[in-house]
Amino acid sequence: MVPVSQFGQPNQFSPPQRSLATMVSLRGVTKVYGKSHRGLWNVNLDIPTGSFMAIAGASGAGKSTLLKLLYGEERPDQGNISVNGQEVTQLQGNKLAFFRRSVGIIFQDYKLLPRRTVAENISFVLMARGCPPSEIQRRLVPTLKLVGLLEKADRFPAQLSGGEQQRVSIARAIVGTPPLILADEPTGNLDGENARQIMGILERLHQFGATVIVTTHDELWLRRSPHAIWELRDGQLFQA
Amino acid sequence: MWDGLTRWGYLWQETWRGFRRGGWMNWAAVATVAVSLFLLGTSLQASWHLERLLNQFGSQLEISVYVQPQVDPAPVQAAVEALPEVASVTLVSKGDAWEGLVKELGISNIEVATQQLEGNPLLDELKVKVTSPAVAPEVAAQVENIAGVEDTRYVAEVVTRLREVNELLTWVGLGAIALVISAAVATTMTTIRLVVAARSQEIEIMRLVGATRGWIYLPFLMQGAVFGLQGGVIAWGAIAVVQQILRSVLSSQPSFLQFLARELPLTSRETLLLLIVLLIFGTGVGLIASALAVRRTKAEVDSDQVAWTI
Repeated sequence: MVPVSQFGQPNQFSPPQRSLATMVSLRGVTKVYGKSHRGLWNVNLDIPTGSFMAIAGASGAGKSTLLKLLYGEERPDQGNISVNGQEVTQLQGNKLAFFRRSVGIIFQDYKLLPRRTVAENISFVLMARGCPPSEIQRRLVPTLKLVGLLEKADRFPAQLSGGEQQRVSIARAIVGTPPLILADEPTGNLDGENARQIMGILERLHQFGATVIVTTHDELWLRRSPHAIWELRDGQLFQA
Repeated sequence: MWDGLTRWGYLWQETWRGFRRGGWMNWAAVATVAVSLFLLGTSLQASWHLERLLNQFGSQLEISVYVQPQVDPAPVQAAVEALPEVASVTLVSKGDAWEGLVKELGISNIEVATQQLEGNPLLDELKVKVTSPAVAPEVAAQVENIAGVEDTRYVAEVVTRLREVNELLTWVGLGAIALVISAAVATTMTTIRLVVAARSQEIEIMRLVGATRGWIYLPFLMQGAVFGLQGGVIAWGAIAVVQQILRSVLSSQPSFLQFLARELPLTSRETLLLLIVLLIFGTGVGLIASALAVRRTKAEVDSDQVAWTI
């Protein structure tokens, strides 16, 4: 393991220069909760456009914090974060809302609306952005096909398995065709087969050209993954 | 244009979802708004009636001008008629007045009565009607300065007292309305906050998928406005029903109360104006209440985030 940042020490690597091909760039990002609990500590990172990046780490290591910082749900105490050419730390209000339309977020606990069907949960994203029904319909069917839920479009979340619910969550994240997909432990609540299917879908999205950042502690997948793997430990990022 | 329509369709759909989530609290909000608007409408209506009554009193207001004995009333009448605020002047001669008084007193022989009092004790009287009750004191003062005028009298006191009562009632009414409107705002605000809380998961997801604040919170503002509109229509209907009941009750009462029953119905212009006033006030109350609820909820969400961030 090579530490990318160290507490109290200069980075071993000089920060790479930003380029047009950089989807995500973090410079000296520090996030502390309370008085001393480290979320992230002096993290520098560049993620090229179109890459697939896996971030491993134990619970509380800072994986979710990193993703929240990327989609502007939290703000760093220090440092700069650039996503798709936009300085996320500067965004507020409607600018932040418009920025989030370029990011698809997948949660470990799915965050589906229990009183809405699969189709409604997915189209809700487009409706919330003010898309007309024709546009929603045009996007909905291919998205459902991609995640293999076309036949279950009228089911409610409670009528689906955990894997299927996570596939709905993925469909909701990608229906707006965002260039960046953030998946926060998408297989954390799933058994081996379902986890394999979910990671397979994320791989396919990567092949379509999306930049995918996924946090996971799925050891089996990590061992087999051909992608760049980083590890977060106590708020610091290490390359595996 | 189609996009605009579908966006409104979405907003109405979300507003309707809010109503479904509100449950019985919807009715509590609409009821309190309706009660406050009912009071407002009733007060407004009472004020219009009283104003109309005052105007009627005013139009019937007469100044009695008494002409000095031995003075010919004709030139005095001409001088009074020449005043610009005077609408009409009627001469009641002292002979006619004496004859009428003797009859009212039940005395059969007028000559005997006149002899006993050593002549007709009354004065020629000019009954003067003015163009507006407000100018009565001024006209009376001017008339007193005309040569040959003994004295002037008019019933301005009654009109003044009625105006004071009207003003008092208006202030008391406004105070009561302010209290009830505050209650309506509080109830509507609580209802909207409950709906916002019930939909917090949806709001969170909307925020995360890039919905703007306006898009998220506009349905709640619309819900508040719809509460107000419903309250306005209900209040207007209730006022009409109460008015109808009062009319049927008063029409079988003594003649003075029957007069009130005749005066009770509003003109079509007043009826329309009342509806417009109630709808505007209702919408205003609903919008203010929901805006306060949304603002408070947003402030709480923001402070939660700040606390978490710190």
